[in-house]
Amino acid sequence: MIRIAKPLFAFALALLTGSCADRDDRTELVIQRFFGACQAEFGNLTDPAQANGECGIITAMINQFRSENPDIKVVENTVFWPGYDQLNAQLAANGAPDLVTMHSSVIPDYKSRDLLQPLGPMLATEGIVPADFTAAARAGVTVEGEVMGLPMDVWATLWHINQNLFDRAGLVRDGEPILPRNVDEFMAQAAQFEERTGKPYLAQITARDFSGPMRSFYIYMMQQGANVFNDERNANFDSPEGRRALQFMRDVYARGYTTPDQDYTGSLATFLQGDAGIVVVGTWMVGELDARSKEPDSPFYHGYAVRPVPQLFDGPEISFVDGHNWVMPRDDSRSEAEQEAALRFLRFFAQNDFQWSRTGHFPAFTKIIESREWQSLPHRAAISSITRIGKPLPSFVRRQAPIENVVGEEAAAAMSGAKPVGKAISDMQRRTNEILRSF
Amino acid sequence: MLFVMPYLCLFILMLIVPLAMGIRLSFTRGDLFGIKEFVGLENYARLLADPVFLRTVWNTVYFVILTVPSLTIAGLLLALALNRETRWAAIMRGIFFASFVLSVTVVTLIWRLVLIPNGGLAGVIAKAFGAEPISFLGDQNWAMLSIAMTTIWWGIGLPMVLFLAALQQVPRDLYEAAALDNASRSRMLFAITLPAISRTIALVLVIEIILQFQLFGQPQLMTSGGPNNSTRPIVLFIYESGWSQWQLGYASAAAQILFALIAMVAMVQYRISSRKESR
Repeated sequence: MIRIAKPLFAFALALLTGSCADRDDRTELVIQRFFGACQAEFGNLTDPAQANGECGIITAMINQFRSENPDIKVVENTVFWPGYDQLNAQLAANGAPDLVTMHSSVIPDYKSRDLLQPLGPMLATEGIVPADFTAAARAGVTVEGEVMGLPMDVWATLWHINQNLFDRAGLVRDGEPILPRNVDEFMAQAAQFEERTGKPYLAQITARDFSGPMRSFYIYMMQQGANVFNDERNANFDSPEGRRALQFMRDVYARGYTTPDQDYTGSLATFLQGDAGIVVVGTWMVGELDARSKEPDSPFYHGYAVRPVPQLFDGPEISFVDGHNWVMPRDDSRSEAEQEAALRFLRFFAQNDFQWSRTGHFPAFTKIIESREWQSLPHRAAISSITRIGKPLPSFVRRQAPIENVVGEEAAAAMSGAKPVGKAISDMQRRTNEILRSF
Repeated sequence: MLFVMPYLCLFILMLIVPLAMGIRLSFTRGDLFGIKEFVGLENYARLLADPVFLRTVWNTVYFVILTVPSLTIAGLLLALALNRETRWAAIMRGIFFASFVLSVTVVTLIWRLVLIPNGGLAGVIAKAFGAEPISFLGDQNWAMLSIAMTTIWWGIGLPMVLFLAALQQVPRDLYEAAALDNASRSRMLFAITLPAISRTIALVLVIEIILQFQLFGQPQLMTSGGPNNSTRPIVLFIYESGWSQWQLGYASAAAQILFALIAMVAMVQYRISSRKESR
């Protein structure tokens, strides 16, 4: 018995002392983010300049921060997009991370329940002040006069164009794509494109993912000079501008100028295979699609262009934008050291926002947009007008995330013909107002 | 009493207390971060006037109607066909049960790849025959049927195994006696097999009713409740109301209605089965 007990005791002691030796006394910084997981490809990369795409660049940036700050133990939680359900559960259980990625559109919800720590004073100690942010980034991160986070970027929906197909369709002049300036021109050019190429003009989300139809609907309403929301309890969808926007979306679908029944992945795949002229997707694809256009087997080899969604209605030149931010959930038990580690990460990110803007998103800092470095990135000159005309929804609009689902779902139903436009608009208005009046 | 106490404590802590808390929440307005006010029956009144919720009730009932009889009958037929001691029967039992161990994410991914009209297997087959591919998940007439088909493929293993276990309990001598009396196979099925496994049939029905009323993952991953709200079940509505829209009281009221619905249908089923048995 003693013979067995001795080695067992020695083994247990070894385990115990072994675990003591591995103890990590460094300050822990828990970062929670979306943008996907790509450790297999970029897990060891510490130079963001070598990475591409949202996932690659954020992974490399966090790796770089780790390597430059060995005294901080960075714990990285990657959540399934957009991750707010997980965050809600963490907040309800008092277990929120130190820093979280958050869309500008949802910050007001968390601010209204006092779940976020205002970061304005903290950032100011590092010399990061709202005056440094672009107008859209500042509007997105400021709620009731308080700066609630560090803006990472501003993003918008864009038209990514297959110039080779556009050329075949006779829609290129002096190397520039010919884009419509009103609804009639849209229909004429889409018909011409389809006739000459045998492919649909647009590839866009029309099913399952409701973000695509929602963004298009907001853009077309804003392009008519309409407010999307009248006040904090009332949407303005059931209006002549709303009906006109949705009717246009329905007409495009009914005439076959868009790919039917496609989700995000499907619409992107259609474009990548060269089966549509334009894919309607956000800034985050600029970097990746530009890289694809340099591959000889790509259907848009040396034939990729990207433009803001053209102005199709009589109204101000405008585009709907949103943004990504780093925010800090409120946690009274967070130590000074942890707070300092978080601040160090925010400073690092602000200093390296150019690398993040290589994704295609617009940088959150004016000085980067004005820099030659950013302006010389591919296609930035063609889309930089967004920094001037981009407008987020007003911060008084709460519950924007679930409302986006409702708007997108009703818009998709109208586009596909499952529901008449008038009925979809009235249902969209009723369901949204119910959410806006539920708190 | 002492013997059941540990389980009883867990049962009260994990089921009765949350149930009571859920009922209490359903009379309030609030979110995950706190209750704002007591609103009485307002959440229930709102639900009964909410066309989206009423549609989710119908969607759920429709889904149960589509799947429960199919799963029960198909499970029984498979069990009858595979209730033999050959190697092929064992292999087939394994194959039919295999899908049941897959996660909902894998199952829906497979079926989405089959059902999407552009490049999906169904679309490719349709095009090969010169037909226009059907948008199974994008057409509101097909979407729920497609989810039901996916669920049947996924869940067929459980009723099959339960029926197989029951069939193997039926005494062999009953069949031998029936064979001596020259009873046909169908006569043996209706006079011996089905009465002998009637308790298992009732069990499968109750289990499947409870399971299928809780439909969630398949529509969430395959259709997001669309198109046009045609595949949104009650549980997805509860999830969206509570977590995305931050209407915890409203979501909780919907959960109580679902609970009542499942309890009612399961009780009716149980009563019918009990009555048949007592005859």
